[in-house]
Formats: sequence, structure tokens, C-alpha cells
Amino acid sequence: MSRSPLDSKVSSNLVFILPGLLIYGSLVFGPIIAALVLSLTSWNGISAPEWIGFGNYISLIADEVFFKSLKNNALLMIFYCAVPVCLGVALAALVWNLKQKEQLALRTLLFLPYIMPTAVLGIIWHWLYNPAFGPFNQALKLVGLGDYALPWLGDFTFVLPAVGVVASWYFFGFCMVLFLSGMQRIDPSLFEAAKVDGAKGIRTFFFITLPLLLPEIRIALLLTIISSIKSFDLIFTMTRGGPANATLVPNIYMYQLGFQLNRYGYAAAVAIVGAILIFLVNYAVHRLVRPNHGGDAS
Amino acid sequence: MFRRIISCSMSPAVRRSAVLAGAAVIGFSLSGMVHAETLTVWDDHDSESRAAVMAELNGRFKEAHPDITLDHTIRDFADLNMTLKLAVSSGDGPDVTKVNQGAGAMGLMVKENLLVPVDDFITEYGWDKNQSDSLLARDRWSDKGEFGVGPTYGISSLAEIVGLYYNEKVLADAGVELPLTSFEDLMAAADKIKDAGKTPFMIGTAKGHLTLHMLAGITQAHIDASDREALDDLVYGHGGTFNTPGNVESAKIVQDWAQDGYFFNGYQGISGDDAVQLFVSGEGAFLISGTWYFGDMKANPDIHFMPIPGPEGVEHPLSVGGVDLAWAITSIAKDDDTKALAGEYINYMVSEDAAVTWAKAGYLPASSVPADADIEVTPLLSEGIKIWKSLNENNAIGHYPDWASPTMLKTFDDNTPLLLAGQQTPQELIDKLDADYQAYMKSK
Repeated sequence: MSRSPLDSKVSSNLVFILPGLLIYGSLVFGPIIAALVLSLTSWNGISAPEWIGFGNYISLIADEVFFKSLKNNALLMIFYCAVPVCLGVALAALVWNLKQKEQLALRTLLFLPYIMPTAVLGIIWHWLYNPAFGPFNQALKLVGLGDYALPWLGDFTFVLPAVGVVASWYFFGFCMVLFLSGMQRIDPSLFEAAKVDGAKGIRTFFFITLPLLLPEIRIALLLTIISSIKSFDLIFTMTRGGPANATLVPNIYMYQLGFQLNRYGYAAAVAIVGAILIFLVNYAVHRLVRPNHGGDAS
Repeated sequence: MFRRIISCSMSPAVRRSAVLAGAAVIGFSLSGMVHAETLTVWDDHDSESRAAVMAELNGRFKEAHPDITLDHTIRDFADLNMTLKLAVSSGDGPDVTKVNQGAGAMGLMVKENLLVPVDDFITEYGWDKNQSDSLLARDRWSDKGEFGVGPTYGISSLAEIVGLYYNEKVLADAGVELPLTSFEDLMAAADKIKDAGKTPFMIGTAKGHLTLHMLAGITQAHIDASDREALDDLVYGHGGTFNTPGNVESAKIVQDWAQDGYFFNGYQGISGDDAVQLFVSGEGAFLISGTWYFGDMKANPDIHFMPIPGPEGVEHPLSVGGVDLAWAITSIAKDDDTKALAGEYINYMVSEDAAVTWAKAGYLPASSVPADADIEVTPLLSEGIKIWKSLNENNAIGHYPDWASPTMLKTFDDNTPLLLAGQQTPQELIDKLDADYQAYMKSK
């Protein structure tokens, strides 16, 4: 059997990973380290940065706006993660029992929002919600529900759910497709055995389907949580974080601090804290959402 | 009214050629003296009609300078503000740019030596004869970071007045008699319109700054030009406070209007531009904003423009306004030839020829339009020109309060929705504005 060049010593193979390493280092590691260093300075984007140690992080602790953005982000997680995952699981269970053609049609239809750029969705939904020209309020008025025709994106009570609904609509189709692929992985003999034992649909779902879907649920949670903490374009195009910071999230706050207020060091500190949050939350999901047996437990 | 000087028997093509030839002679007498090859220009004229004017002006400048390349980029206001400082500081920005006056943009760029003073060009081209000193003062920053004094770093081509648009037909239908000569008249008219079941004020707060314009407009309409010193000191960073009875009272008036249904139903969910479109379509009796909407407003002949009237006893009320973003030369223009070409470009942008072109498109130029210019101005622009002249004569052009500190615009944006929703008292809003201002003064 011929010996592959890749079987040689690690040092000899370094040259093969060098291009990828260089690209990854310059485009990912480099900016992360730069942001970390920048977060320890006071910098207006033009003059030389001034070293202030952990001054920005200490200021963040007392920053009400930053905590408001975190709170908004936590609430948005319900719409980014919980609703799409629950809805996705429920729909996957329903669609799974349909015939091949119907299943394909529904899968395609419900997955469609996910192929659209979220910035485009934000602009479209911004128009849909418009109280003067938008079809939602026009329809409400048409059916005599004019009292419920609210300025959705300008109302302090409804603006966060109004933005969140769009995120749920965007993600639930993706979650459903992910769960359907997970259901294909489950051994059909388990369902047959349950049927022989007299288990009905709901019982089968909760005691067989759901536990065996935990690897997919974990992936769905990880991806949607990362998306919710990374959220920027959808919210920016719909509300820019307003009104009065009612939909402000850390990434928009970071943008405002850096590009509008010229506080690049402080903005970098917000970015670093956001990255740490992503790590922490993802670690928690990794630890808490684990299958007891079977499936991918990595 | 402007007199026609070109014979009506001329064909449009011949007339256009004559205008171009005249422009070339008047505007480019020094064109042979500069030898720079490329001039990079950024501006914020992003609307269709303003971009068309700029294309026309740039075309004429290019005709007179066939040997140069004009690299022209249009950015919207936010994008320009965001990228300009970074681009120039990295050595990759424009030679000539529009730049927002105030501490956040022009002040910061001057402090970091990213802009070049234009005083030599003012003397060379006589810009100070075409625009008043109080307008040029808005582009001055001292070496110590004082606003309104020191070298001049720019000059604007368009004038801006924040005033009261009113729909004559809606007012007549509600039985309101014109003219409105005092602020009390305006309040009474708003009551009458509301009683008639119509919307007194069209406004949209989801995007844009119509609330800021309304608040500042009402406050400054209560200040007589003879008492403007405190406002000048405040905005030019000499000190002062936002915490005045006038500011609190204005905030209360606006909050009362919002709470009592004087605003368009759903105003919180529409943008300022949406509000303008609705106003043009006949919704609402009044809209408070600036002359930059003349191009949109002219579509409805019932719409007119006036300064926000002051209360009884205030003879010359201030009107918020001034000039649009200034044309400035950046540190990217390093050699003398490029600086000279940049100066010549700006000279053309603030020339009488450019002013006529802007006026023809319905915009209010900052430079004076020749009395014999061949243009037919829209009724709105005619009203605007008269008001601009009167305000200048009475030294009654006020200020944008957000120029007072680099963060003031955001402080306004973060707090005015709370005021309108009744989640913040007028005094709390003013306290927030003043805290922002005092923090900036302390940091200087």
C-alpha cells in the first residue's frame, strides 16, 4: 500500500495548512486580538489610542444603556430561539406523517424565509408594519378592527415582539427542516415497537421522537442563540434600536458607540463582552442539552 | 421676482449653451492656473433631484477642466458622517467633501488636522461678499477647539430654514384665517383644526428628526433676535444651559400635543419622510421641518411655508436653520495644485451660477441669486427666499441645538420618544439634554 504524503510528520504537513491558517489568522484572529487591545484604550478613531486599562469595562458595569441592550437581547432570544425551536419540532412531527409530495412542498414553503437576507426581510416587514401605508393595519381597519391598528414599530409595548415575530418567522422553517432530517436518522423499528406496545402519537412523540432529536435540538439552539446575540441587520433595518432604545441590542449599541459617537475603544469593549456571552451561553447549552444515550453526544 | 434676460426666441438648446458658456467664463476664470489631475469629491446630495443638480454642476465644471478627472461619490448623511473621518485619517478619502458642522464632525476633524482652512480662498474669491459673516461663523473652529471663532473650514451652498409648512386648503376648510401672526394664533388654529376633526400636525418620529425640529423651532421662535446671545454661547460651546424655562415650556407644549391627539394617528410608526409624503397628499394642516423638503412640497400647490411665529411681544423671533453641510478641503489635498483646484471647485459650488441651478430645481441657495437670473421660482421657493432675506436682515437665523455637543443628536433621539409617549416629563427631558451638554463642556 502506497504511503500518502499526509502520513508524514506534522511539521512537514504544516505547509498544507499554511494558506488556511494565514487567511484565518489575518481575518479572524487578528481582528479579535485588535478588538481586545482596542477595548483597553480610549480611541476616537482618528488620533492615537490612549491606554486606559480596564476603564471601558468598568464603565460598562455602570452603563444603564448597555444593560438595557442585554435585557432586550435576552427577551429577543425567546423569539430567536424558543419559539422557532418549539414551532419547528411541532411542525416537523406533523409534516413527518404526510405523504412524500406534500412533505416536500411544505418543507420548501416553510424553509423559504430562511434563504432571504435578513436585512431585506427587515425592510419588507418595516413596510408591512407601517401604520399609514402598510397592509397589516389596512387589513385591520378593513375588517373593523381599526382600534388595533397600532404603530407597531413605534409603540414601546409592542415593538420588541413585533421585531421578534419576524425573527421567529425567519428561523422556524430552518429548525423544522433540521428536525425532519433528524427524524430520518431515527431507527423506524423504535416507532414500530412503540406501536406494538400500544403507544399513541403524542406519547410516541414525547418518549421517542423528542429525546432522540436532542442532538438536532442542541444544534438548533446553538445556531439560533448565536444569531440572537449577533443580531444586527434585522433590527437595524426595522427600528435602528428605537424608539428610545426599546429594541437596542449590544451590536447596535456597539455600532452607535463606534461609528456615530467615535468611541471605538468602548465599542470594542461591548464587542468583547458580546463574544464572551456567546461562549458562555453556548457552553451552557452544550452542558445542559445532552442526550442520555444514543445520538451524537459529542 | 427674477427678470428674464435671455430672449424667449432662443431655442432651449441655444439657451443652455449660452448659460454654459456664461458659466464657464464667470466660474472658471482661473482654470488655467491649476494642474492637478484628479479631484476626489464626496457629498451628501443623495435624493434624486439633488443628485441631478450635482450632476449638472459637476458636468459644467468638467467641461471647463477637460484635463482633470472628477471622482465624485454620493453618500447619505449618516454614511458620510460615519466614514469621512476614518477615510481621511487613513489617507484614502476625498480632496473635497461636504462635512457636518458642529463638534462631532467638523470640530473633531479640525482638532485632528484633517481639514484645511479656506480663509485664503474666501479672500481670493470674495465668498464673504456672497454670504453673511454669521453664516461663515458656523464653519469656524479655533486651535483651542472653540466653535464659531478662528479659521474658517468650509462654506455651504444651500440655505436651510426650519419653519412651518401649512396647507391653505385644510386651514380654510377648518375656518382658520390666515395669516398666523403669532404663536398664540398657531395654538388657536391647531385647536380649531382638531375641533373640526382633522389632524393639526403631521409628524413621523420612527426615523428622521422632526421632533427635534419641532422642539427647537418652538423654543427659538420664543427668542427675540436681540436676545440671542445665550443661544449663540450655548451652541458655540462658550457655556450655558439647556435648563431654561423656555425649553421646558416648549417640551410641555409638544408633549401636550402628542398626548391630546394633535399629531397624526400612528406618528410613532412612520418616518419623517413618510410624514412629508402624507402631508403632500393632503393629510394634516401643519408640518414643522426644513426648506430641504421644498422639492417634495411643491407637488401640492396648497402648501405654503412661513417661519414659526413668535409670541406677542417678540418682534424678530429666531428660526432654526442656517446652512447645509459645508464644502471643505481635507488634508488629502496635499500639494498646492490640488488645493487650488479644490478651492476652485468649491468656488463654483457656491457661485451665482450654482445658486441659479439650485433655485431652478426648487432649492434655497445660500449664495445670493443675481436679480436678473433667468429663472421662474416656485411659490414655495419665493416664500423661502423672502424669509431667508428677512431673517438675515434681522440676524434671526437660529441654530440646530444638536450642534452643541458631539452626542446631543443621540441624546435627543433617545429621549424625545419617551417625552411624546408621556414616559418622561418635560423637565426630565431637559435635564438629560443639559447633562449631555455639561458633560461635553467638562470634557473639553
